[in-house]
Amino acid sequence: MREELLGVGERIVKRALELGFDEAAVRVTFRDATMVKFANSEPSVAQSWKDRSVDVYVAKDKRILGTSGSVSSIGEVEEILGRLRALASRIPESMLYAPLPEPSKVDFMEGLVDRRILEAISDPSDVSELIVEAVHRRSVDYFAGMFEASYTAKALVTSTGTSLYEDATGIQAYVRVFAGDGSGQWSLGSRRLDEKRIEEMAEIAARYAVEAKNPVDVEPGTYNIVLSPMVAGNLMNYVARMASAMSVMMGMSIFAQKKPGEKVASEKLTLIDDPRNPELPYSWSFDDEGVPTYSKPIIERGVFRTLLHNSKTAAKMGAKTTGNAGLLHPHPWSLSVAPGDRSLEELIEEAGDGFLVTNNWYTRLQNYVEGTFSTITRDAVLIIKRGEIVGAAKKFRIADSFPRMLSHLAALTRERYDMYWWEVKPPTRIPYMLFRDVHTSKHTG
Amino acid sequence: MTWEKEDIVAYAVDKGQELGADYVEARYHRRRSTSLATRNGELLGFESSFEEGVAVRVLVDGALGFAATEILTREGVEAALERAYRQARSHSRLMREKIVFSDERLGVASYAALQKKGFDSLSEEDKISYLRDLWERARGATSTARVATLMSFLAESVEEKIVVNSDGAYVKSLVPRLSLGYNVVVALPSKGTIQKWFSRAASGGYEWLDAWRVHERLPEDVKTYEKILLEASKPPTDRPVDVVVGSEIVGLVVHESCGHPSEADRILGREAAQAGKSFIKPDMVGQRIGSEYATVIDDPTIPGSNGFYLYDDEGVPARPRFLYKEGLINEFLHNRWTAAVFGTHSNAAARSMNYGSEPIVRMANTYLKPGDMSFDELVEDVKLGVYIKSYMEWNIDDERWSQRYGGLEAYLIENGELKGLVKNPVLEVTTKTFYSSLDAADKNLEFYAGTCGKGEPMQGVPVWFGGPNVRLRGITLRVRE
Repeated sequence: MREELLGVGERIVKRALELGFDEAAVRVTFRDATMVKFANSEPSVAQSWKDRSVDVYVAKDKRILGTSGSVSSIGEVEEILGRLRALASRIPESMLYAPLPEPSKVDFMEGLVDRRILEAISDPSDVSELIVEAVHRRSVDYFAGMFEASYTAKALVTSTGTSLYEDATGIQAYVRVFAGDGSGQWSLGSRRLDEKRIEEMAEIAARYAVEAKNPVDVEPGTYNIVLSPMVAGNLMNYVARMASAMSVMMGMSIFAQKKPGEKVASEKLTLIDDPRNPELPYSWSFDDEGVPTYSKPIIERGVFRTLLHNSKTAAKMGAKTTGNAGLLHPHPWSLSVAPGDRSLEELIEEAGDGFLVTNNWYTRLQNYVEGTFSTITRDAVLIIKRGEIVGAAKKFRIADSFPRMLSHLAALTRERYDMYWWEVKPPTRIPYMLFRDVHTSKHTG
Repeated sequence: MTWEKEDIVAYAVDKGQELGADYVEARYHRRRSTSLATRNGELLGFESSFEEGVAVRVLVDGALGFAATEILTREGVEAALERAYRQARSHSRLMREKIVFSDERLGVASYAALQKKGFDSLSEEDKISYLRDLWERARGATSTARVATLMSFLAESVEEKIVVNSDGAYVKSLVPRLSLGYNVVVALPSKGTIQKWFSRAASGGYEWLDAWRVHERLPEDVKTYEKILLEASKPPTDRPVDVVVGSEIVGLVVHESCGHPSEADRILGREAAQAGKSFIKPDMVGQRIGSEYATVIDDPTIPGSNGFYLYDDEGVPARPRFLYKEGLINEFLHNRWTAAVFGTHSNAAARSMNYGSEPIVRMANTYLKPGDMSFDELVEDVKLGVYIKSYMEWNIDDERWSQRYGGLEAYLIENGELKGLVKNPVLEVTTKTFYSSLDAADKNLEFYAGTCGKGEPMQGVPVWFGGPNVRLRGITLRVRE
């Protein structure tokens, strides 16, 4: 696989230079994946993908152009490159242009491929059966969810001499369990297949489903709220994506008017862009410009530390690349939030009166620069009275702002969970987090 | 599109039947696109890409298998078929209810969406100039505030498909689309910022640029955003008022709270862990959801629409679907699986994003039926109310019942006249309240473009959503402080 993918990359770089481009970077990706989707406690579909794709960045006289396509139609990729070369002289320079970085030594992470995941790609039915069985150990009605096992290999070849290859496996799994009028959802992302962790995921979702039964209406207001790793992961995803320098340039970030060194959150918050964590999917040793990745705080003890850059945004903003390059846009890798020192019971006790919100979706912003947003709960919302769970609540919204909420983070648990699903991408290792005085809302009629 | 592609999909269907599958479907699916993006009038870059491959779906012992390959040879699709067949068969032991598809009269047809001005009718220089000019017009529109950021893009795409299945479908299609979008931030340091994301898209070509009038509308909008920062007051939230809801919001409301909950796969729980379930239960056809003005139609066959198609990805001929009709839940969106479960026929809602995606139940172009009033007539008998014209933030719960729209451009209505701007009114109501409070709609039907997300892996498909301006009686608004 290594030689095949590198060979494709070398061929396209060579062709781009022959056509007269000054620079080229080519990423060639192979994906072999199987996903089983569940509904009503049975598989609704088993899906399988095996494909090779190519993404190309080229530059001529500071004009930036790109293409992508499938490796099996590589002739067409080359034809497009020819058309792009003719076009390059007719368009203006890119405001983002900067030379591709020179090759750097990359320290490759070990252990990114798990043989057992490769076996599950070929036949995931045993894992499927385990999920069905594990969910139904409790007295629940039914569940929905998914399990995906994947292998990804990628090669990067650039005109500056970069020639890199890396491969990795990964799983993504989540279940949503229904029990009467209650439901609970939990997820897992990992580079290794461990049945015990899948069972734990099913157990937590099923437990929350049972605890969520008989929910009552609650009034909107200002509450202390414990966010589960599902919810906290979703919100930290937004914070991390807004830390991309491209988000700042496009007016899509709370960091648009901030500089590294400014306090942006409670000192309890340390949010890390964590590509060197070999246990989390989205961990890779090099970025799309061949720059070695490294783990670094986006926010450290409440202080904004790092805007995520590729070489182009870095040049534009007078900074250095942080190894977060996509071919055009910088992006976060896997994320982690530093743990706190509380148990979940202690966190709930510290909340006093409020809620434990275990899942959410549909987070949308009114204004990215000001960070105003709302998100709506789903699944178990547990009522906390005098430091104890006393029942379940019906759905409501958190309607607040990121700057305000980040400054109101009061405590975190020691234990962290590896979350990865629809609403938490990139995968995030994260504890339960207690926020004080969170604004909530609900329909008026 | 060459005969080789047709040969491959036909071969896949034959081969799948030889393997022993009860149903086989093969879809050649190609999407090519070009796009250019600018920030504050300066070019970021230009991209021209494509993706193509073959998707196969099989039914084996009541289990559904799907596989995709980009290798466009007989060997490539054969390998994909074997994967789909093997996975379906190995999971059939876990099936409690076998999956079957409804019997349908399937299409043998070829069609293409019309394009009056082709993508080559404008040079690349013209396209870049268009976006640069948009920036110049926008930044020149304010007097006190500053247009801090205008990110804009222009994108062209062509989607080609060949859908063949073992039940006799053979449908070739070609749909070109144009889209234009922007994110604008207007800032006044002493007052804060206003942000608006907006996009237009349609099937066809550059004939749409004139119709969209973005060059005229964006500067007007920017002036309004400046006025919101300078002048807007707090909306009334202490008592129920009448709310005139702009067509931009009405379109989103019907998409979110009629279209999605009417998806039969969601009603049956297939998306429960992702996009959620539905407040609509299988036996609710005929139940009242709103007033006589609540008629919502989803129609894939609208010429020029963003969600245009004439046959779905299972080969079923498309038609308008009346989801809510005069206030009653009337019809669900079906594919051949849900139609079989409900004992009815598919209404051609099966769509897929690309060759890597299974066809699932989707909307196309969803809109509220317009009325016969003018906009002035909607407003003239409102004593105290708010007209909310546009929005930014929105969300809805996973059963599509509690929905929220954060107003952006909004006006106070007093004694039948629009007064000053109000800031951050929030319409946060249940689906029942929205449709039941509807007492009038004007005749100004307008469509808006979106990419609707659903499925696992997530599939984004092009849609339109729209409607007229409508009036709701007796709504308590919220406000974002």
